[in-house]
Amino acid sequence: MQDSIQREITIKAPKERVYEAITDPAQIITWFPDSIDGGLSKGDKPFLHFGEHDKTQIYVVAAQPHDYFSYRWVPGGNTFDGDIASVPTTLVEFRITETDGGSVVTLTESGFASLPADIIEASFKQNSGGWDFMMERLEKKFAEA
Amino acid sequence: MLVADTFKALGDPVRLQMIQRLSQSTQYTVGSLSAGLGLTRQGARKHLQLLADAELVSLQPRGRQTKVTLDATTLAHAKRFITELELQWDQRLLALKDFVENDVPTKQTNT
Repeated sequence: MQDSIQREITIKAPKERVYEAITDPAQIITWFPDSIDGGLSKGDKPFLHFGEHDKTQIYVVAAQPHDYFSYRWVPGGNTFDGDIASVPTTLVEFRITETDGGSVVTLTESGFASLPADIIEASFKQNSGGWDFMMERLEKKFAEA
Repeated sequence: MLVADTFKALGDPVRLQMIQRLSQSTQYTVGSLSAGLGLTRQGARKHLQLLADAELVSLQPRGRQTKVTLDATTLAHAKRFITELELQWDQRLLALKDFVENDVPTKQTNT
Protein backbone atom coordinates (compact mmCIF):
# COMPACT_ATOMS: atom_id res chain seq x y z
CA MET A 1 0.00 0.00 0.00
CA GLN A 2 1.30 3.39 -0.94
CA ASP A 3 2.15 6.01 1.63
CA SER A 4 1.88 8.86 -0.83
CA ILE A 5 -0.07 10.31 -3.72
CA GLN A 6 1.61 11.81 -6.75
CA ARG A 7 -0.08 13.74 -9.55
CA GLU A 8 1.34 15.66 -12.46
CA ILE A 9 -0.04 18.34 -14.73
CA THR A 10 1.46 20.35 -17.59
CA ILE A 11 0.63 24.03 -17.70
CA LYS A 12 1.35 26.25 -20.68
CA ALA A 13 3.11 29.04 -18.78
CA PRO A 14 6.59 29.83 -17.48
CA LYS A 15 7.38 28.35 -14.07
CA GLU A 16 7.61 31.83 -12.51
CA ARG A 17 3.94 32.36 -13.37
CA VAL A 18 2.92 28.95 -11.98
CA TYR A 19 4.88 29.45 -8.77
CA GLU A 20 3.15 32.79 -8.29
CA ALA A 21 -0.30 31.25 -8.74
CA ILE A 22 0.49 28.71 -6.00
CA THR A 23 2.23 30.98 -3.48
CA ASP A 24 0.55 34.38 -3.83
CA PRO A 25 -2.35 34.54 -1.33
CA ALA A 26 -4.35 36.69 -3.75
CA GLN A 27 -4.00 34.05 -6.48
CA ILE A 28 -4.25 30.77 -4.55
CA ILE A 29 -7.85 31.64 -3.67
CA THR A 30 -8.84 31.45 -7.33
CA TRP A 31 -8.19 27.70 -7.48
CA PHE A 32 -7.86 26.26 -3.95
CA PRO A 33 -9.37 27.76 -0.77
CA ASP A 34 -12.13 30.36 -0.96
CA SER A 35 -10.11 32.78 1.15
CA ILE A 36 -6.92 32.90 3.22
CA ASP A 37 -5.79 34.59 6.46
CA GLY A 38 -2.01 34.98 6.53
CA GLY A 39 0.95 34.65 4.20
CA LEU A 40 2.50 31.79 2.24
CA SER A 41 6.18 32.35 3.05
CA LYS A 42 8.36 29.79 4.80
CA GLY A 43 7.29 29.42 8.43
CA ASP A 44 3.88 31.04 7.93
CA LYS A 45 0.79 29.38 9.42
CA PRO A 46 -2.13 30.80 7.48
CA PHE A 47 -5.75 29.69 7.79
CA LEU A 48 -7.44 28.47 4.64
CA HIS A 49 -11.20 28.97 4.46
CA PHE A 50 -13.54 26.66 2.58
CA GLY A 51 -17.08 27.86 2.20
CA GLU A 52 -18.54 29.92 5.02
CA HIS A 53 -17.81 27.64 7.93
CA ASP A 54 -14.75 25.48 7.27
CA LYS A 55 -11.22 26.64 7.92
CA THR A 56 -7.95 24.86 8.51
CA GLN A 57 -4.44 25.94 9.41
CA ILE A 58 -1.47 24.92 7.29
CA TYR A 59 2.25 25.30 8.02
CA VAL A 60 4.51 26.41 5.18
CA VAL A 61 7.63 24.23 5.33
CA ALA A 62 9.49 25.56 2.30
CA ALA A 63 9.05 28.19 -0.40
CA GLN A 64 11.85 28.26 -2.98
CA PRO A 65 11.07 30.48 -6.00
CA HIS A 66 10.31 29.24 -8.58
CA ASP A 67 10.84 25.51 -8.12
CA TYR A 68 9.40 24.19 -4.87
CA PHE A 69 6.66 24.88 -2.32
CA SER A 70 5.58 22.62 0.53
CA TYR A 71 3.28 22.72 3.54
CA ARG A 72 1.94 20.52 6.31
CA TRP A 73 -1.77 19.66 6.13
CA VAL A 74 -4.07 18.21 8.77
CA PRO A 75 -5.99 15.43 7.03
CA GLY A 76 -9.61 15.42 8.00
CA GLY A 77 -9.10 18.98 9.14
CA ASN A 78 -11.26 21.16 6.97
CA THR A 79 -12.35 22.50 10.32
CA PHE A 80 -9.04 22.17 12.16
CA ASP A 81 -8.53 25.12 14.52
CA GLY A 82 -5.52 24.74 16.77
CA ASP A 83 -1.74 24.57 16.75
CA ILE A 84 -0.77 22.58 13.67
CA ALA A 85 2.59 21.69 15.22
CA SER A 86 0.79 19.63 17.86
CA VAL A 87 -1.08 17.22 15.57
CA PRO A 88 -0.17 14.59 12.96
CA THR A 89 -0.03 15.89 9.41
CA THR A 90 0.70 14.95 5.83
CA LEU A 91 3.30 16.79 3.74
CA VAL A 92 2.05 18.42 0.54
CA GLU A 93 4.73 19.32 -2.01
CA PHE A 94 4.61 21.19 -5.32
CA ARG A 95 7.60 20.80 -7.64
CA ILE A 96 7.76 22.93 -10.77
CA THR A 97 10.04 22.10 -13.68
CA GLU A 98 10.28 23.78 -17.05
CA THR A 99 9.52 21.80 -20.17
CA ASP A 100 9.00 22.52 -23.87
CA GLY A 101 6.40 25.23 -24.03
CA GLY A 102 5.42 25.20 -20.38
CA SER A 103 5.86 23.89 -16.86
CA VAL A 104 5.25 20.53 -15.23
CA VAL A 105 3.76 20.68 -11.74
CA THR A 106 4.30 17.55 -9.67
CA LEU A 107 2.12 17.30 -6.59
CA THR A 108 3.01 14.87 -3.81
CA GLU A 109 1.05 14.27 -0.61
CA SER A 110 2.81 11.83 1.72
CA GLY A 111 2.62 10.38 5.22
CA PHE A 112 -0.64 8.40 5.22
CA ALA A 113 0.72 5.19 6.69
CA SER A 114 2.05 6.86 9.83
CA LEU A 115 -1.13 8.77 10.69
CA PRO A 116 -3.14 7.64 13.72
CA ALA A 117 -6.25 5.61 12.99
CA ASP A 118 -8.82 8.20 14.03
CA ILE A 119 -7.25 10.87 11.83
CA ILE A 120 -7.31 8.61 8.78
CA GLU A 121 -10.92 7.79 9.45
CA ALA A 122 -11.81 11.49 9.65
CA SER A 123 -9.80 12.15 6.53
CA PHE A 124 -11.52 9.34 4.70
CA LYS A 125 -14.90 10.80 5.54
CA GLN A 126 -13.85 14.33 4.67
CA ASN A 127 -12.33 13.40 1.36
CA SER A 128 -15.10 11.18 0.16
CA GLY A 129 -17.57 13.86 1.21
CA GLY A 130 -15.49 16.45 -0.60
CA TRP A 131 -15.47 14.44 -3.76
CA ASP A 132 -19.22 13.89 -3.71
CA PHE A 133 -19.62 17.62 -3.30
CA MET A 134 -17.34 18.31 -6.27
CA MET A 135 -19.20 15.82 -8.44
CA GLU A 136 -22.45 17.48 -7.57
CA ARG A 137 -21.13 20.89 -8.55
CA LEU A 138 -19.72 19.48 -11.76
CA GLU A 139 -23.00 17.87 -12.71
CA LYS A 140 -24.84 21.08 -11.93
CA LYS A 141 -22.46 23.01 -14.14
CA PHE A 142 -23.12 20.69 -17.07
CA ALA A 143 -26.85 20.73 -16.48
CA GLU A 144 -26.83 24.52 -16.71
CA ALA A 145 -24.72 24.64 -19.86
CA MET B 1 -13.55 -3.14 8.99
CA LEU B 2 -12.57 0.53 9.08
CA VAL B 3 -10.12 1.78 6.50
CA ALA B 4 -8.17 3.24 9.40
CA ASP B 5 -7.40 -0.24 10.75
CA THR B 6 -6.16 -1.22 7.33
CA PHE B 7 -3.68 1.64 7.18
CA LYS B 8 -2.58 1.01 10.73
CA ALA B 9 -1.86 -2.62 9.90
CA LEU B 10 -0.02 -1.59 6.74
CA GLY B 11 2.05 1.07 8.50
CA ASP B 12 5.07 -1.18 9.03
CA PRO B 13 7.90 -2.03 6.59
CA VAL B 14 7.90 -5.76 7.37
CA ARG B 15 4.14 -6.12 6.91
CA LEU B 16 4.23 -4.04 3.72
CA GLN B 17 6.91 -6.36 2.37
CA MET B 18 4.71 -9.34 3.24
CA ILE B 19 1.74 -7.81 1.41
CA GLN B 20 3.89 -7.11 -1.63
CA ARG B 21 5.04 -10.74 -1.73
CA LEU B 22 1.49 -12.00 -1.28
CA SER B 23 0.25 -9.89 -4.18
CA GLN B 24 2.58 -11.85 -6.47
CA SER B 25 1.78 -15.43 -5.46
CA THR B 26 -0.96 -17.44 -3.78
CA GLN B 27 1.40 -20.23 -2.74
CA TYR B 28 2.96 -18.75 0.38
CA THR B 29 3.19 -20.42 3.77
CA VAL B 30 4.19 -18.66 7.00
CA GLY B 31 7.71 -20.02 6.53
CA SER B 32 8.27 -19.05 2.89
CA LEU B 33 6.58 -15.67 3.31
CA SER B 34 8.84 -14.58 6.16
CA ALA B 35 12.06 -15.93 4.62
CA GLY B 36 14.79 -13.28 4.37
CA LEU B 37 12.89 -10.71 6.43
CA GLY B 38 15.09 -11.20 9.50
CA LEU B 39 12.24 -12.49 11.64
CA THR B 40 11.95 -15.24 14.21
CA ARG B 41 9.07 -17.65 13.66
CA GLN B 42 7.30 -16.03 16.59
CA GLY B 43 7.90 -12.55 15.17
CA ALA B 44 6.51 -13.58 11.79
CA ARG B 45 3.42 -15.04 13.48
CA LYS B 46 2.84 -11.78 15.34
CA HIS B 47 2.94 -9.70 12.17
CA LEU B 48 0.70 -12.14 10.30
CA GLN B 49 -1.83 -12.28 13.10
CA LEU B 50 -2.05 -8.49 12.99
CA LEU B 51 -2.64 -8.60 9.22
CA ALA B 52 -5.23 -11.33 9.71
CA ASP B 53 -7.03 -9.30 12.41
CA ALA B 54 -7.18 -6.39 9.96
CA GLU B 55 -8.67 -8.83 7.42
CA LEU B 56 -5.82 -8.20 5.02
CA VAL B 57 -4.73 -11.84 4.90
CA SER B 58 -6.29 -15.26 5.56
CA LEU B 59 -4.40 -17.94 7.47
CA GLN B 60 -5.33 -21.53 6.64
CA PRO B 61 -3.74 -24.48 8.45
CA ARG B 62 -2.48 -27.12 5.98
CA GLY B 63 -1.11 -30.04 8.00
CA ARG B 64 2.01 -28.79 9.74
CA GLN B 65 2.10 -25.58 7.74
CA THR B 66 -0.08 -22.52 7.50
CA LYS B 67 -1.02 -21.15 4.11
CA VAL B 68 -1.20 -17.35 3.78
CA THR B 69 -3.29 -15.58 1.14
CA LEU B 70 -4.19 -11.97 0.48
CA ASP B 71 -7.70 -10.63 1.15
CA ALA B 72 -8.17 -8.34 -1.82
CA THR B 73 -11.44 -6.78 -0.61
CA THR B 74 -9.83 -4.97 2.30
CA LEU B 75 -6.97 -3.71 0.15
CA ALA B 76 -9.52 -2.41 -2.33
CA HIS B 77 -11.10 -0.27 0.39
CA ALA B 78 -7.75 1.29 1.27
CA LYS B 79 -7.14 1.85 -2.41
CA ARG B 80 -10.44 3.68 -2.69
CA PHE B 81 -9.35 6.14 -0.01
CA ILE B 82 -6.20 6.93 -2.01
CA THR B 83 -8.15 7.13 -5.27
CA GLU B 84 -10.51 9.71 -3.84
CA LEU B 85 -7.64 11.87 -2.65
CA GLU B 86 -6.09 11.58 -6.11
CA LEU B 87 -9.33 12.69 -7.75
CA GLN B 88 -9.51 15.66 -5.42
CA TRP B 89 -5.97 16.71 -6.35
CA ASP B 90 -6.71 16.21 -10.07
CA GLN B 91 -9.60 18.60 -9.66
CA ARG B 92 -7.49 21.20 -7.87
CA LEU B 93 -4.60 20.98 -10.33
CA LEU B 94 -6.99 21.42 -13.26
CA ALA B 95 -8.35 24.54 -11.59
CA LEU B 96 -4.74 25.78 -11.17
CA LYS B 97 -4.05 25.09 -14.86
CA ASP B 98 -7.20 26.91 -15.97
CA PHE B 99 -6.35 29.90 -13.83
CA VAL B 100 -2.73 30.17 -15.02
CA GLU B 101 -3.46 29.58 -18.70
CA ASN B 102 -6.54 31.76 -18.96
CA ASP B 103 -5.76 34.21 -16.17
CA VAL B 104 -9.32 34.06 -14.99
CA PRO B 105 -10.68 32.40 -11.87
CA THR B 106 -12.48 29.20 -12.87
CA LYS B 107 -13.29 27.92 -9.41
CA GLN B 108 -16.90 28.39 -8.50
CA THR B 109 -17.20 30.13 -5.17
CA ASN B 110 -18.89 28.40 -2.34
CA THR B 111 -20.97 31.17 -0.88
